[in-house]
Amino acid sequence: MKLPKSLFQKPENPLEWYDSHIKNSMPDIPDQMCISCAKCKAILLTGDLNENARVCPKCGYHFRMNARQRIGLITDDASFEEMDGNMRSKNIIGFPNYDKKLWHARLASGENEAVVCGTAKIGGYPCCLFVMDSNFMMGSMGTVVGEKITRLFEYAAKHSLPVIGFTVSGGARMQEGILSLMQMAKTSAAVKRHSDGGNLYTAVLTDPTTGGVTASFAMEADVIIAEPGALIGFAGPRVIEQNMHQKLPPNFQTAEFLLEKGFVDDIVPRKQQKEYLTRLLSLHQRRPEHGSI
Amino acid sequence: MKSLFSKILVANRGEIAVRIIRACKEMGIATVAVFSEADRDALHVSLADESICIGPAQLKDSYLNMAAIISAAEVTGAGAIHPGYGLLSENAKFAALCEKCNIAFIGPPSNVIAKMGDKDMARQTMEAAGVPVIPGCRKVKDLAQAEEEAEKIGFPLLIKARSGGGGRGIRLVKTMGEFSDAFCTASAEARNAFGDGAVYLEKFLHPAKHVELQLLCDKQGNAVVLGERECSVQRKHQKLLEESPSPGITPETRRKMGECAIRAAKAAGYVNAGTVEFLVDDKQNFYFMEMNTRLQVEHAVTEMVTGIDIVKWQIRIAAGLPLNFTQDDVVPHGHAIECRINAENPDLNYRPSSGKITLLHIPGGPWVRFDTALFQDYTVPPFYDSLIGKIIVHAQTREEAIRKMQAALCELVITGVDTNKEMHRKILASAEFRSGNYHTDFMGKLEGEKH
Repeated sequence: MKLPKSLFQKPENPLEWYDSHIKNSMPDIPDQMCISCAKCKAILLTGDLNENARVCPKCGYHFRMNARQRIGLITDDASFEEMDGNMRSKNIIGFPNYDKKLWHARLASGENEAVVCGTAKIGGYPCCLFVMDSNFMMGSMGTVVGEKITRLFEYAAKHSLPVIGFTVSGGARMQEGILSLMQMAKTSAAVKRHSDGGNLYTAVLTDPTTGGVTASFAMEADVIIAEPGALIGFAGPRVIEQNMHQKLPPNFQTAEFLLEKGFVDDIVPRKQQKEYLTRLLSLHQRRPEHGSI
Repeated sequence: MKSLFSKILVANRGEIAVRIIRACKEMGIATVAVFSEADRDALHVSLADESICIGPAQLKDSYLNMAAIISAAEVTGAGAIHPGYGLLSENAKFAALCEKCNIAFIGPPSNVIAKMGDKDMARQTMEAAGVPVIPGCRKVKDLAQAEEEAEKIGFPLLIKARSGGGGRGIRLVKTMGEFSDAFCTASAEARNAFGDGAVYLEKFLHPAKHVELQLLCDKQGNAVVLGERECSVQRKHQKLLEESPSPGITPETRRKMGECAIRAAKAAGYVNAGTVEFLVDDKQNFYFMEMNTRLQVEHAVTEMVTGIDIVKWQIRIAAGLPLNFTQDDVVPHGHAIECRINAENPDLNYRPSSGKITLLHIPGGPWVRFDTALFQDYTVPPFYDSLIGKIIVHAQTREEAIRKMQAALCELVITGVDTNKEMHRKILASAEFRSGNYHTDFMGKLEGEKH
């Protein structure tokens, strides 16, 4: 039985202790404390989400995570050593407002550029690692991103180290014009030279990996894995729809769709990635007589 | 003079939510009830001034959903949250979240909850403060060290989970032969149940009484003891019947325990209402067991003998008001007994019972109190704790209180769900209980007789 709301009267008791000079304090939730899941709409505590590798504990939705969080999650404790950390982009072609954009991006991401490169150990195995950061101009690839990734592959080739790369990108950085498109060729050449040395390159495609990055080093790995639900493609679905005048399938350009079509090799949830990568690295260790480190 | 909260959110359900809302109504404080989808028709929802649904029936989605409860407080502008008992009441993380959101958590500060929640650390704090603790050892590293410590302590002993509590995570070992198996199972169980495999050892005191002291500590550093409660009538470490004063301790022991409880509270930096649990052996030696950093189910027993409303004082203390009485003013009077009425069937291995209450008659008369959230035609949902009511009686003497409770139990009629009412009548009728000389093994013996 339901009790009617007005069943009980409210007693006319004044507040027991009251000082009209003191204002009652009101609750105030700090902005960063709660976050709503984009998929299941559940309200989550940011602390809980971060503890769970930024995966929604209710529905498994993978929130985006910044480069440093990802490095912390994937690499062995204190094993990451950054390379070329001080490299910064310049407004080479005098693109309007690019300087301001860069300044904002550095502030928003806490990084100097949209990719963090270095050496690390994963499950005890040494490797080279690059992790892109969506908070820096949506991980777009300019000359510095291209240069840092090229240098990483060159270092890896020289030292016969495998490369693990986490991609997230909106594509080439239009503020750098043709110079950004050049990076596609440059990084691809570096990947090839690394590969010719018989070294392993594994890419982990995270949400979103698109444009010039997809069209170059993201899709050139020996083993390509993706995070569940990640958007992966070249041109965005809206652009394609408008050009083709066709309705696209509902899961178009998702990691699952690409797995079905054979463009990615596996989908690995974030919390299993370290174990998965460790296994890949262990399978691709060179024998000592072949002169590895 | 400070101001009281003008609105409080009650983050609980059932009889304790009703109890807290009643206190607020007396104090002129507006109330916000939170409820799960299964509790839409619950009494606390209609009794409160405002109510907000916080999620589906499952506890983890509703009454344990911290983000939803904090959001409800913000939406309604409630300056304080009373967590009641169980649920989030001893959750240091929740208390810390409230602190961050400028919401007063009606209970101790989060760091005190954390300190007392770690049973190993609590034990250490008490030992340092000169409070007697049960002979035992700190958290053990491995089996070899545990065996060494076990040898020193002697058998029988208890293996306890550091993060346990509420009677869970405890294992009794009688001989060295059983020890290594028991140790491995206990730490594996603790890891599964609490996410923390750390265990420590304690001597198993037997026979012993479970006696606890109620404390009130204000923010100004005043602490008073509101007498003790005897809670030795337990089944699987779950209390069934409580009384105050304890029939088994001398005035001298009572005084010493009171002093220790105050020392324990000061050592922990305690604020608000709390309970220090002791085990007392037949030689009147007493040992600290644990500190409960919340309101207890059995708080009503203490309220009856002291005349002090513990819930109202919890709210006043949280608002920063000092206690307006001293230890000398606390003079327990007469004897009080509480019987917990659970919706369960003792004859069917205590199977929980749910369903629609088709007839309800609540006992009345002088000094008979029945705390419940039941009403005629209410449907007891199957998702939650089986406690559906508490009868509390108060009389001049223990003998008179037992008689009064017997009469009140017979007057209590709840049809539609099974209850443990008959079992309480058996407890009250037993010669051992009537003698007052009963221990924590009382229920085991009583049920042994039955089978």
